[in-house]
Amino acid sequence: MDSIDVTRIERRARLKYEWSRARRAVLGFGPALIVVVIAALASKHPNAAVAFGGAMFVVGVTLLWYGRDVRRGVLPGLAMGLIPLVLGLCANHMGHACQGDHCMTLCVPACTAGGLAAGIGVSLIGLRWKQGLAFWTGATALTLLTGAMGCSCAGYTGVAGLAIGYAVGLLPGLIRRGRATWGKSNQA
Amino acid sequence: MSNVPNAELDSLLARLADGDRAAFTDVFRLLWQPVLRLCTSMLRNEADAADAAQQALEKILVRCTDYDRKRAALPWALAIAAWECRTLARKRTRRRELPEDNAPELGSGSEDDLTRRELVAAGVAALGELSAEDREVLVATFWEEAASVSGATLRKRRERALKRLRDTFKRLYGLD
Repeated sequence: MDSIDVTRIERRARLKYEWSRARRAVLGFGPALIVVVIAALASKHPNAAVAFGGAMFVVGVTLLWYGRDVRRGVLPGLAMGLIPLVLGLCANHMGHACQGDHCMTLCVPACTAGGLAAGIGVSLIGLRWKQGLAFWTGATALTLLTGAMGCSCAGYTGVAGLAIGYAVGLLPGLIRRGRATWGKSNQA
Repeated sequence: MSNVPNAELDSLLARLADGDRAAFTDVFRLLWQPVLRLCTSMLRNEADAADAAQQALEKILVRCTDYDRKRAALPWALAIAAWECRTLARKRTRRRELPEDNAPELGSGSEDDLTRRELVAAGVAALGELSAEDREVLVATFWEEAASVSGATLRKRRERALKRLRDTFKRLYGLD
């Protein structure tokens, strides 16, 4: 019994543990591919939608595989990202809004509004669940990548609109969370 | 067995299930000896026990995300290990394997030894027919570990699990 190489067994078990987590992460985040397919089919820029969707899938799987606090941001991030995605895709199909001689694309305002709503949503969840920085980072990455699939309708401007709207929506909650954390550490 | 700190193991396994890799080595070290001891006592062969313990530990760590934090970690882990031993024992029986170092010696006691091993194999097979919960209760009883519940509830569960084990044994072998 003394001849058992426990270190080797531990290494092997660790490898299997990581593989199992990775497999579960891929299976768990698999349904998000349906969103990518729908976005690619509905978008007028399917290549951009697929690129952002692929990045979203990789990030989502990585967050689920890693686990801990960052994993908790996956579902809220994906759900909130659907707001700018749907708004962006709808605006993409509605085309332009014209007033007299002046016309403007609806994509950028729709993405900015969607980003704002998503930012507020993520910050409300983060505050309610009393989550740390890891949650906010994970949720932000997924929201932006999910939303970007629909907001690529206006090129980089749409994505920039989404990011600005999101930052504006998120900032108050983030400041509140930061102040709460800072207050706690000062008390300690 | 009793030197495994249960509360510590519960919390470490919960952390590992959550993805905290820092808990991995501690969980492995805390579980290795009890699992190996259980496998040795069930299989009565060092090489088979080591194989079963390794397989069991891998399964426990792979399935740690399924671990229910409301329940004690050790009986849960030992139930998986007992199942692994039972699977290995069944495979061995199917192949009609009889390891040389475990072969009954001629002379006094060899008959008893063989009978005892057959009885253990029959017991393990009957245990395998039970539900995971019943197995867990009985393994916990075997190791004198209190499960997540205690007192009257545990006694009742144990009685029911033992009754079901007796019924299964009777059904499989026609005797008590």
